[in-house]
Amino acid sequence: MSDGIFGVENAWLDAAIRIQLIVGLMTVVVMGLIYLERKILARFQQRLGPTRTGPAGLLQSVADALKLVGKEDLRPRNADPWTFELAPYLVFVPVFLGFVVVPFVAGWEVRVVELGLIYFVSVSSLSIIGWIMAGWGSDNRYAMIGGMRAAAQAISYELPLVLALISVAMVADSYNLEEIVQGQAATPNIVWQPLVVVVFLIAGLAELNRTPFDIPVGESEVVGGPFVEYSGIRWSFFFLAEYAALFIMSLIFAAVFLGGWAWPLGEEWGRGWQLVLVSVKAGTFMFFVFWVRASVPRLRIDQLMSFSWKILLPLMLVQVLINGAVLVYGGSLWILTIAGLVGVGVLAKLVGDAVSQPRPKVVAASAEGEVAS
Amino acid sequence: MTTDGTTPAGDESEASVAELVDTFENTIWPSIDRVLAGVDVRPERGVLDLIVHVPRADVVRALRMLKQGDELQFNYLRSLTAVDNEADGVDVVYHLYSIPKNINVTVKVTLPADDKVLETATTVWQAANWLERETAEMFGIRFTGHPDPRTLLMPEDMTDVFPLLKSHPFAEIELLQGELLGHERGAGGDE
Amino acid sequence: MVTETAPEFETQDLLINVGPQHPSTHGVFRMVLEVDGEVVKELVPHIGYLHRGAEKLCENNDFRQGVGYMDRTEYLAAHNAELSYVMAVEALAELEVPARAQWIRMILCELNRLSSHFMFFGAFGVDVGVFGTPFVYAWRERETLIDLFEEISGDRMMYAYFRAGGLAWEVPANFKERVHEVLKSSRQGVKDFDGLLTENEIFIARTKNVGIISAEDAIEIGMSGSSLRASGVNLDIRKTEPYLFYDQVEFDVPLGENGDVFDRYYVRLQEMEQSMRIIEQCLERLEDGPIMPEKMPRMLRLPEGQEVYIRTEAPRGEYGVYLVSKGGNKPWRLKVRSACLSNLQALRQMSVGQYVADAIIILGSIDIVLSEVDR
Repeated sequence: MSDGIFGVENAWLDAAIRIQLIVGLMTVVVMGLIYLERKILARFQQRLGPTRTGPAGLLQSVADALKLVGKEDLRPRNADPWTFELAPYLVFVPVFLGFVVVPFVAGWEVRVVELGLIYFVSVSSLSIIGWIMAGWGSDNRYAMIGGMRAAAQAISYELPLVLALISVAMVADSYNLEEIVQGQAATPNIVWQPLVVVVFLIAGLAELNRTPFDIPVGESEVVGGPFVEYSGIRWSFFFLAEYAALFIMSLIFAAVFLGGWAWPLGEEWGRGWQLVLVSVKAGTFMFFVFWVRASVPRLRIDQLMSFSWKILLPLMLVQVLINGAVLVYGGSLWILTIAGLVGVGVLAKLVGDAVSQPRPKVVAASAEGEVAS
Repeated sequence: MTTDGTTPAGDESEASVAELVDTFENTIWPSIDRVLAGVDVRPERGVLDLIVHVPRADVVRALRMLKQGDELQFNYLRSLTAVDNEADGVDVVYHLYSIPKNINVTVKVTLPADDKVLETATTVWQAANWLERETAEMFGIRFTGHPDPRTLLMPEDMTDVFPLLKSHPFAEIELLQGELLGHERGAGGDE
Repeated sequence: MVTETAPEFETQDLLINVGPQHPSTHGVFRMVLEVDGEVVKELVPHIGYLHRGAEKLCENNDFRQGVGYMDRTEYLAAHNAELSYVMAVEALAELEVPARAQWIRMILCELNRLSSHFMFFGAFGVDVGVFGTPFVYAWRERETLIDLFEEISGDRMMYAYFRAGGLAWEVPANFKERVHEVLKSSRQGVKDFDGLLTENEIFIARTKNVGIISAEDAIEIGMSGSSLRASGVNLDIRKTEPYLFYDQVEFDVPLGENGDVFDRYYVRLQEMEQSMRIIEQCLERLEDGPIMPEKMPRMLRLPEGQEVYIRTEAPRGEYGVYLVSKGGNKPWRLKVRSACLSNLQALRQMSVGQYVADAIIILGSIDIVLSEVDR
């Protein structure tokens, strides 16, 4: 166990300080992320995004936060009070609990947990309960539909996500996030597990309820999904949780697949450079999420579930088997790379075949207006 | 004055059936007359399309005969509406189109002003469903046998107001709008 | 695709009310869905929220004032709406419209078709779920078109520019250059939409085989326009009963195969290409000349006992005007045959048996504008 932060001896105090730092960091980071998303989405859509509040619109998130804090805290009369009011906390707290194991840079995680990856996955799935509570407790049909959809989607995509992380853990031979990062000093895990990276990206989008998997909050249909009856601070908890989850998912992605702080620079470069490196890597994941949001329509709930169960899950099971075979019987890890690339090709083909049709031809009508019955 | 210089429509009721056939021989009237054998129809030249007047009792039968069969195949109901002629009753007007043959016809039925009941045409074309609902609520016509006789555009509880009848008044502001420009209906005006 | 639940399960159907305030209903429209799980069992549309009595009002206004009402019944394609009306008045008054006015009318109507279809893409993209991107592209393209319309008629949306006999006033001197500019940017816009949506797998998965209506059903229920052509019926009034100078220009009529949502989208995309083709040919044939007939009476009085039903191919379908005149300077009866009303009748048939999310997309694909449905 590394030294206590600021040299503090007591483990509990040390943990408390670290957690407070994380909470403080989170608030700032989330506000920054909201601003970044709006700017990046705007650029994709050929418009500017926030420009007026503060220089280049930087204070937009602050303004939004102040507005939300000032709103009246409404509760529908027929909403179940305990369920309705507890739901935001149940969505929000598990995400923060996940931050306990996330490695920012060397030595800067709250706690190094031997089963870190398992802890992360199990804790973050507690949020689903919060979504269902919000949906049911709101006494609103749209909310209930949204909550059910969210639960179905979360459960469906939990499996490929977990299997993806397990595959990587197999290659890294540990569940301890710090060891996983350190083990990538030579090569990042993306090289050995390309298919797993793709599946993690897709399943991660689904777990974050982001386009194309944002049907629970499908704005044009169920207008906000389970959160439609929330306003003010309670709603901002959901919002905060969503962006905090995005942040944590991107950090996990950077740590597990891209080598965290260890590749390509290594420990000698000092914390400053490591922080920059990790930020860049996490940033690619976040940019990818925003990019997809600006470009792609939304999947329907049955399509999304069949995609997970029929395509992603079998692929991941096969990947785990291959991992096991190669690791147990000895063999170059490059076999895994090749198998992974083949897997990516198979995935692309399956997706393409499922939907592609030849481009329809234009039927020209003759100039005399002859009607073919 | 009609566009092709033939005798005005208003005088045709005096002409005999033989003269009527001659007047319309280069239109689709002969085909229609053939298809609607047994129905007492009277043609009238319209500006673009042929207008066929059908008696009230035979309307749906005639419409069905126009739709079926191979000669005319009026399979498309373009429009269904009514015209309030005050004392002369209410005309229900059907505009039909045949997609295979690319021909048009207008079918007119006159209902007396105090007995605005007509059989529904939904059994012939489904398109008549909403069109009849709108005509019924605007003119006070009752289409017997209509599967869904609710109001379409009017509020559900305003079933006793028929806005498009001439007896339904304009609001005062709308009358002012017409008067302020100094127009009088039918009077001779500036050139 | 839809599994039957075992008979022992006693499930209750959910009644969902979509609208009148809802981001997806394209106006003030309400539909009540009876839903079993995610499948729509029954759909009841309620319209009339935007009914302003345009037909009755036109009976009190003379033939010049009526143009303003026609604009407002179809504000996204106002030139096409005005066109039907002025053509009806001209038919009854036997006015001969000068060639230059006809060509300009054609150009403006086709430009309006472009802007209306861009609006369709924007709203449809939002329905399908792409957050905002197609919507903003649509507005970018519409801005160039609407700026041009503003230069010509002074108004961005309700132009009141067509008059019985021709046009209200001359177009600006740089009309041809401006239209060429606008065409260039619209061409790029159509390419952008095509690239964004047409071959996107998720878009195809959401729209193919959804909301199918067969050709026979579509004809039976009175659909028209792009929605009808997407089901494979070759009915375009510009070809079957040409008006203006449509018989003198070359263009194709795109037809769909399945009659599903994707076809309705793709037919509109192709129609935009054809519109641009028509506009270019019109620009070549446009020559100088008068825009109103020489002997134009100041107060138009129509003969007694005349009626006409004029139909034109508006972007949303067959927009017809049935005009009955009993003499004088005001219509005795003006009926607007609304394409959107007839197309909307088919919504129930297309949606029952589909998922709730699909019902929203189907509504978007019919491309209605409520002001035309309700008048």
